[in-house]
Parts: sequence; structure tokens; C-alpha cells
Amino acid sequence: MKKIIHFTLNGEPVEALAPVNMTMVDFLRKEMHLTGTKRGCEEGECGACTILLDGRAVPSCIMLAMEADGHEITTIEGVKKNGVLHPVQQEFMDKWALQCGFCTPGMIMSALSLLNENPNPTEEEIRDGIAGNLCRCTGYVKIVEAIDCAAKKLAKAKEAEA
Amino acid sequence: MAIMSKEYYADIESVYKKPEDYELAGKGNAYIRIDAEAKVTGSAVYTDDVDLPGMYYCKLVHSPYAHALIKSIDFSEALKLPGVKGVLTGADFPEGHNLGNPEAFKELADKEPLCRKKVRMVGDEVAAVCATTEEIATQAAALVKVEYEVLEPVLDPFYSMQPDAPAIHYPGTSNLSIFTTMKAGDPDKVFAEADYTDKHYYRTQQMVHAAIEPHGAVAKYENNEWTVWTTTQGAYVSRYWIAWGLGVPESQVRVIKPMLGGGFGGKLDVFAHELCPCKFAQMTGHPVKCILKRDEVFMCTRTRHPISFEIESAFTKEGKLLAKRCKHILDGGAYGGSGIAANTLSLICATFPYKVENIDMTARRPYTNHPASGAMRGYSACQVHFAHEIHMDEVANALGIDPLELRRMNEITPYYTGPTGLEFTSCKFDECMVAVADYIDWKHRDRYPIGSGQGVGLSGSGFMSGTGFPVLVTPHYCSSSTIVRLNREGYAVVFSGANDIGQGCDTVMTMIVAEELGLRMDEVKLVQSDTTATPWDAGSFGSRVTFLGGNACRRAVGDAKFKLLSHWAEEWGCKPQDITMKDHRVFIKGDPEKNISYNEACFGYEEKNFGRCVAGVGSFAHEGDKDIYVKNVGNYATAYSFSASAAKVTVDMETGAVTLDDFAFGHDCGRPLNIRAVEGQIEGSVLLGFGFTCYEECVYDKDGKHLNPSFRDYHFPTALDMPKIKTFVCSEYDPEGPMGAKEAGEGSTAPVGSAIGNAINYATGLTLKELPITPEKLWRALREHEKTGKTVFGAEDLPEKFANMPPLPARD
Repeated sequence: MKKIIHFTLNGEPVEALAPVNMTMVDFLRKEMHLTGTKRGCEEGECGACTILLDGRAVPSCIMLAMEADGHEITTIEGVKKNGVLHPVQQEFMDKWALQCGFCTPGMIMSALSLLNENPNPTEEEIRDGIAGNLCRCTGYVKIVEAIDCAAKKLAKAKEAEA
Repeated sequence: MAIMSKEYYADIESVYKKPEDYELAGKGNAYIRIDAEAKVTGSAVYTDDVDLPGMYYCKLVHSPYAHALIKSIDFSEALKLPGVKGVLTGADFPEGHNLGNPEAFKELADKEPLCRKKVRMVGDEVAAVCATTEEIATQAAALVKVEYEVLEPVLDPFYSMQPDAPAIHYPGTSNLSIFTTMKAGDPDKVFAEADYTDKHYYRTQQMVHAAIEPHGAVAKYENNEWTVWTTTQGAYVSRYWIAWGLGVPESQVRVIKPMLGGGFGGKLDVFAHELCPCKFAQMTGHPVKCILKRDEVFMCTRTRHPISFEIESAFTKEGKLLAKRCKHILDGGAYGGSGIAANTLSLICATFPYKVENIDMTARRPYTNHPASGAMRGYSACQVHFAHEIHMDEVANALGIDPLELRRMNEITPYYTGPTGLEFTSCKFDECMVAVADYIDWKHRDRYPIGSGQGVGLSGSGFMSGTGFPVLVTPHYCSSSTIVRLNREGYAVVFSGANDIGQGCDTVMTMIVAEELGLRMDEVKLVQSDTTATPWDAGSFGSRVTFLGGNACRRAVGDAKFKLLSHWAEEWGCKPQDITMKDHRVFIKGDPEKNISYNEACFGYEEKNFGRCVAGVGSFAHEGDKDIYVKNVGNYATAYSFSASAAKVTVDMETGAVTLDDFAFGHDCGRPLNIRAVEGQIEGSVLLGFGFTCYEECVYDKDGKHLNPSFRDYHFPTALDMPKIKTFVCSEYDPEGPMGAKEAGEGSTAPVGSAIGNAINYATGLTLKELPITPEKLWRALREHEKTGKTVFGAEDLPEKFANMPPLPARD
């Protein structure tokens, strides 16, 4: 069975027909053709499929597409705006905070969620913020460093704005 | 060491940039990964992201039994399901075309694409279905009825070798997939006369690679040719086995490696999920995708060999290592594949990083009905260095010598040749050891009383840089090849066979070309890992990519550069070596007349050569001999890397929980080509080693069923579990490495587990001889110690098992 859902996807309104039993990650990948959100375990354990639901990180593999109805969804494809990388993305590049890159989109979404809630996280809070995202390549060292640098840059920019 | 090809490539190497002129590869390494933007924006295309019009989906049907005969397969219900497009069994593939790895040992290939008559592990593939959607394919797979006659599962590698054990593959072979020996000197005499001798037992567990990207493939069939996008660490090796498994010429199979979401050795072999989509694509005329689910990755791909060790050593009372005897029993699981290299590697690693002239070592790899063991990062080295380096601390304690000094007393030094012919080049092991010991303040380790719950531990290791694994039956078993084309429009194209599996070799190859030609990184365009577009490469394994691939790439760009500079040397009346390429210009230093742009230089060459473009080809291989694999005599690799680790742990003496407080890693990777890339490899290695030591284990029930095939039940460290990691790159320009580099990705995993293990032993006052050291195991040991005073735990069953092993079969 399929149902029509309405939601905001990366800032754009979407009206779509979705099977009621389809997970959000499959809906994004197969119906919306947004393949930046990855399928790593499909049981909510690895975090590779993390997206933002109203600004908060959720694993999209244990969420149904139906549950997006009426909400604001952000995927990795919506993070770079007007051709400009988000500071978190830029720092991941500059600090070599990625290797195979398969966990990277989910990792960045969790970092954005963390910074939305806590713009000045301590190292321990950063580690806690990405504890649901498994990375087999990096040992997390450079990821923590990149998020910390991005947080500081964002804070500085905010200060300058004020 | 004499590298024969050096003479052949002498002209080319004469125009290489000198180390003092390096810019990109020089101080600071201020360049970023060429794939970074694609990876942070989600645009990077991995195998599961390949989406073709009209694509069908394939699902595999797996055996629920570890050991059974297939009596019948009934597809009738599955075929009734609307949307089902086809089914396959073993009979659809040519008989006798078994899968293995490598080509040079094709006679050992033992895996049918789909099992015909017998299954040998839970998860063995017996059938496949194809449908219009992934959901229908999944439903259809569940409707396939397979009737089995269940056989006794063989799960203990020691039992497997006994004469009364059921044969897993070939009757009368003691279930040995391969056995290896390595001998030198006169160990029996030395043991009889030594001041100190001992015999100890250790055991490591089965772990998995756990790359976050699951294995998968997409195949299409068009114009009598298959194109396969697959999660491989070696496009050419995959192409060989896919063609062989299908029974078609290699010319009709094209393998493309998209971005790879981590390999760690788990994506070297060829699997049913690659061959079945090929068959279905041909049968249906549609492209077909097959992506494994996480539990399938756990059960049906590859694992790290569990190894049981018997180690005997002989030392003088002053601490000089005189002789070593050891027996390694590797649980091979159900199949061979890339696993057949494990034996030799385990023996070579057992001699690292120390000088030992008298050795008598054997390794046996019996089949069992566990999932197949295969290559995994730090191949055999992680297990071997765990056992042998815990052993080293035991020797130090027995002799009353500082464990650091015992290691330094026996360490390999530069340009040492081992007793079986291993030829070392640069070696900074001592510097690595001293750096990590100083960092952890080893000198003042008495600040933590033994058994206080806090402690420090050290460990050292060595690894081959650029394996000599004989992949092909050719004079150059293990080559990497590259083609470089210079374009007069101001750029160059590098066609690299090297397979980037996440470690970043695409960036390194690009950098080498840019550095030699004086171009920017974004002016070098990379074509990578595609059997139609790029030249031959043996794959990403054995710490060979930077070393062999990097040298091949440098020879290719050097070939092009030499042609270009020879032309201009003739024009300018000088030698090619007098001309510099830098900042997009080709010039003679200090001569304002002889200074032209890169574009002009290429154009001038083309004009003189009837339009022919400037192109170069290069290849590099370790000039070893296949005999190293059979006889274990000779040199294995062109260079060797060395590592040392120091760990500080806190053990909660109430609960047995281990916290890794601090970790230092010293690595001798030659001259680093990018310091952040090297650090990243080391930091990832520490995660793998920490997981290996304290977290990870595949658990089976008595019937051989995997009990924890998910990240919910199989844990590896999260960001909260990992310590800060202090890296020391103890570098020295290696004369054979590309721009002086050696390996940095695999050897770095080897000393992690034993440093943590030695620290835990220090903190608890116990000796733990078996991995993983989980809180439960440690808690039980601490309680028993309180009650009985027992101090040594683990591997208690091994003395008897080793004593009752049947003799080695004769070598034919």
C-alpha cells in the first residue's frame, strides 16, 4: 500500500507517494535518488544513514518514510548551500577527517545535530555526539578534531555577526 | 639489495625530482584528498549507489547448516511470486571452475560459485533468485526450499586434523588446506645448551573486517561483454576470478571499482554476490544488483584467522635471543581464498622485529566448518605479534630484564639480513621504541605498583612493505602498473591500476605525478581501477599500494618526463637532467632564455614527433621468487616497516572493565608522503587493535551457527571508547621507496594488541594468554585469582592439543 506524504526535503517542499512499509533510507535512495545517505547495517547500529529530522540526528534505516510527513528533513546533499561548503564539511576535508568516506555523511549529520543543540561542545561532548556513528578507518581522532575546529569557527563567525 | 629493474629504469630515474626540491611531498604536505569534497557532500558513488535503468535485484539463498549435503532444491513457490525473473543453482556455473585467490595457486581454488552438492559453513550460498525489486527478491529467496542431509560439523581446528575427523573437502588430507615450514640454523643444539628456555601457549579469536560498506556488485551484459561494478580491493584480480567462474574469456569481463567503503582485506576474494548478478544480467538482459545485508557480510565473506600458538624460545641469561621454535595452528574455516597466504605470513612475522638466527617454525591451516578465514589488515601479524610480544614480556620477567631493554638488545638494525634471506633496508625500530617508551614515561613505570589496576605496556613489530605475494603466473608476480599522458592544454592524465579502498592512494598517485611535472594537484586527472581503462595491478593488499603503486606511478611519469626533457635537451644543447619542471614551467635554472610553459613544452614535443603525445608507462614489482611461499627461503619484500606501541590502561578491578587512557605509536614508514594520511592510518590501526584486544569476537554455537552477526552484538570501539593517540613518525628516506616512503597501513596494526595486553597484565598482575580480554573474562580471572592465587589465564587446553597433533604430512 502507498500513501501520499508531504514534507520539506533539504529546504524544498516535497509531495510524494511512498509505500507505507518503506524505510526512510530506502525512500531517499530509491525514490528521491539521494544516495549520499548510506545503508551500513539497516538496524540502527552504525549511523551511516543518519539524517536530520527537524534539526536532530536520526538513523533513517529504522524510520519509515511515513514518519517524515509534516517534518523537515535534511540529508547530506542539503548541507552545502549556494555552492559553499558548511564549515563542518570544510574541516572534514582540511583535517583529513575521512578515509573511505562511507560513514562520513552520517558523521557530518550527527555533528550538525550536536552543534545545533550545543554550539560549544567539549571534546567529551563531541565524542558523545558521534558515539552512534561507527567509523572503522580513522579511530575518530581527526573527526573529533574537525568538529572541534568547525565549532570554533562557527562560534567566531557568530560573534562577528553579533 | 639488487633490484634488477633499477638498471632498466635508470634513465627514467635520472630525471626524478631530488628530495631537496620536493614541494607537495615536502615539508607540510599541504594538500588534501582528491576525493574529499565528493565524500563530504554525499556525491561520491559507491557500488550501492550505481543505479541503472531497468535494474533487477539478486538475493542469495544460504545454508543454515555448517556441514551438510544438498539433497534437493525446490524453486516452485519462489517462481510463482510476481516479479521473479530467474533462479540459479550451482549447476548453472561450469563445473570445476572453483574460486580461489591468487591465480598462481589456482590448484588450491576450492569454492564453488554456488554449492553443488555440499555446504561447508553456515551461510554457504546454495541458490540465487532475481526479481524486479529488492523486496520481491528477498521474499522469493525465503520461498526456496532446500533439503539437506546434515553432517557432523568440524569446528575445532585440532580435531579437524585428526584421522577420524570427517573430511571437509578432500578425504585423506588431514583437512589441511596448506602447511608451511621455516627453518634456519641449528635450533636443537641451541636449545640444548641455552641458559634459558621456555614453552608458552596463546590463542587469538575470530574477528571480522567490519567495513561500514557492505559487500555488493552490479552487473550488466551488453555486446557480449559483462561490466561489473563491485566492492573489490583489486579490479584485475576480481576480473580474473569472475571470468573463470563464469567460464568466459577475461577479454569479455570489465570490472570497475567505484569508491570503496573500506576493505581491510575483506574484499579481496570473489564471491557469489558478484557471479550471480553476472549470470542473471545475461539471462534477463537487465542490469542486476546484489548488495549483502550486514548479517550476510558477517557470515558469508571473510574473517581474521583465529590462531593457536605454541612458542618455545632460548635466550642467554643476559637476554640475547638465540633460537625460537613455534607452531601456529590457523583455523582456516571452510575455504582457502586469500587465506592461504596466512601461514607464511605468520611465520615471517614471528621473526620480527628481532634478530634470531636459529628457527624451527611450522604453520598449519586446517579447514573447519567456520566461515572462511582470509586476509585482514595486519595479515597474521596482529595475532602473531600479540602472542610473541606477550611472550617477550614473560621472558623479560623471567630473566629479570627490563622489557624495553630486552627488545632493544635483540632488535633488527638497518641492512640486516635474516637467516632465511629476508633483506632489510632502512630500519628505525629503535627510534620508534624509544619514542613511545619516553612518551609513556616507561622509566618511571614503578609509579603504578603491579596489580594496582593501572599499568603500562610496550610492544614492537615489523611488517613487509610491498608484499611479494605471487598473484600471477608471470615473471613479475605482483606488479603495479601505471600510464601517464601529458596534455599540451596544461594538464596530465594518470591511468592508475592502484585500487583506493579508502586509504587514499588515489591522492598519493595524483600527488606523485603533480610533483614530478610541476603541476597543481587539480591539473592531474586520475583514471582509476577499471580493467578497460587502467593498466594491470595486483590489488590493494600486503601493504603494497604506496610502495609498489607509488613506484610504478613515478616510473610512468618519469618515462614521460624523460621523453619530454630529452627533446628539450636536444633543442637547448644540454642534458635532460639539467632541466627543471616546476610551477607549470620547464626551464634551466638561472637561464632566462630557456624557460617555457608546460603547455609549450608538450606542444614542441608533439610538433617534432608528428603529433605524437608525450606518454609514459611504468611498472614495479618485488623481484622475489614464488619459492618464498613454498620453501620460505629468500626475500619476501623490497622493504620492511617497523612499529612500536605503548599503552597506559586502567582496569576496574571490581568489574574487569578496561579503559585505554593513553596510547603512543611510533612508526617507521620511511619518508611520509602525507603526514596526516600516515597519522590517519595509525589512528585507525589503534582502533582495530583495541577492538581485537578487548572487544571483538565472532561467537558460534555447537552447530557452527554465528550468534552475533550484527553491530548490536558484535562491538568495536566508538568515539567514546577511543583514547587520544600520540603518533611518532620515525622516518628515514628508504632508498627503494617512492620518494623514500614505505608502508603505513598494515604494519601499524601489529603491535597494538600486545601493548594493551602487556599493560593489562601489568595493571592486574596476571598473565592473560587469550583474546579478547573482555570485562567478563577479566572479572572471572580476577575473582579466581583472589580465591586460588592463580595468575596465568587462557589457552589452558592447548598443551594437550599440541601434544596430540598428528605429524605433518610429507611435502610432495
